Amino acid sequence: MSPHENRPREDGLPEDPQDMKLMIHALVDGELDAAAALAVERRMAADPELAAEHARLVALSGAVANVPRPTVSDDFLARIAAIATVKDPEEAEVAQAESVKAEASVQRQQQGKVIEMRPRASRWFNSFDWRQMAASIVLTAFLASGVTQWLTTADNGSDSFAVAVANGHRRSLLAATPVDIFSSDRHTVKPWLDGRIGVSPAAPDMAKDGYALLGGRVEVIGDRPMPALVYRHHEHLITLVAAPRQNEAKSVPVADDLSAGGFLLVHWTDDAFSYWAISDAERPALDDFVARFRAAIIANPAAGSPG
Amino acid sequence: MAGAPDGGTVLSEKMLAARFAEVVLPHLGDALSLARWLTGNQADAEDVVQEACLKAHAGIAGFAGGNARAWLLTIVRNASYTWMARNRSRSVVAVGDLADLDDVSPPPDNDADSPEAALIAKANSAAVEAAIARLPQAFRETLVLRDINGLSYREIAAMLGVPQGTVMSRLARARGLLMTELGGRHEPA
Repeated sequence: MSPHENRPREDGLPEDPQDMKLMIHALVDGELDAAAALAVERRMAADPELAAEHARLVALSGAVANVPRPTVSDDFLARIAAIATVKDPEEAEVAQAESVKAEASVQRQQQGKVIEMRPRASRWFNSFDWRQMAASIVLTAFLASGVTQWLTTADNGSDSFAVAVANGHRRSLLAATPVDIFSSDRHTVKPWLDGRIGVSPAAPDMAKDGYALLGGRVEVIGDRPMPALVYRHHEHLITLVAAPRQNEAKSVPVADDLSAGGFLLVHWTDDAFSYWAISDAERPALDDFVARFRAAIIANPAAGSPG
Repeated sequence: MAGAPDGGTVLSEKMLAARFAEVVLPHLGDALSLARWLTGNQADAEDVVQEACLKAHAGIAGFAGGNARAWLLTIVRNASYTWMARNRSRSVVAVGDLADLDDVSPPPDNDADSPEAALIAKANSAAVEAAIARLPQAFRETLVLRDINGLSYREIAAMLGVPQGTVMSRLARARGLLMTELGGRHEPA
């Protein structure tokens, strides 16, 4: 393939007519890069037989494209969608409303009001606007207990963070490469992150445990750039976002299992960072990864200081 | 919170349902197309796709990102062959030794006139469908994955477990047969 005397035209295309035909197919299929496509088009311009083959292929792909596709009937779509339906969402919301009601009923100050509403509640459920009722009970609970409200706010905060982590992970799976810096060496990954955003977590390569360090990238979550490490476990990628701890952030010393956006997450904190591990791997694999990562950091704490 | 065992399972089921809706449902049309061409008819295709979707749902946790359509179609293809092995006589299913098919050298292509292209373009859908249906299984499968499902050579090669060169030669053979038939060079009896 390499010697020039075998390739008089030097355009990198095969001389064998059958192989050259495959190139025409590849051109029609959009499988060629611009340089190869240009070379094939030049060959076609010089060779009427190739041009005719190209014309036939274009005609054929048009003809095949016109073959009617099976339609997805509403009935069929509903049948397939039902496979994944675990619980009637209406039912779930009602259950949620019930628990809100239970919570509200223990609020001592507003107790009278809540009980007064009960007889009407069942009628509302059956008729139309039970949501409105649920909302009014939530309002009652809010007025009665500020503490509950604070907790709710904190949870919402971490939920949206988890969603942001999930979105970042999803984007990385779709991108050409899931990492900005490709290296299994923490002595490469850490300085790179330090140089970009001035902060980097410990980045142990745990290839011997089945979690190979693939590299790192920068995630921007809630206006703040933060370091993310990417590990490979079999065919799955694990993104580990390490958000520098802030004073007000609550401590989560024991790993907390979460999920967001169709991915599993594990969240925990140490002195320096708030960690979010996310993956499409199975829960046991993700938990195992987290356990090993934490053990690796403890074994070598010097590598984990921010900055 | 999410640590409670009950809350955990509900959450993960919900999550899997969301993932299923995102990964599987948008590609049902392609799934039906492939199953229809592999099994040969629409009613069977729905059964096969439903079976494949059950498998996809069970295995959704194993979806590692990437092209969801290619992932689903791989499952549909496997389900189609499993289904045919169970419901059809062996003669229909017999894929044969694919190596034999790949070794067949293409027919000589002597007269390459452009009127042929016009004939092919004018061929009606029924004729095209019939011609595709008559292709040998391995060629038909490759052609459908490329020209109807729109997968890339690389994705098809990964799905079929063959080199890209084999995908290319099967595709060329499949198209050659279609063009011969639709272009009216050797009108079948």
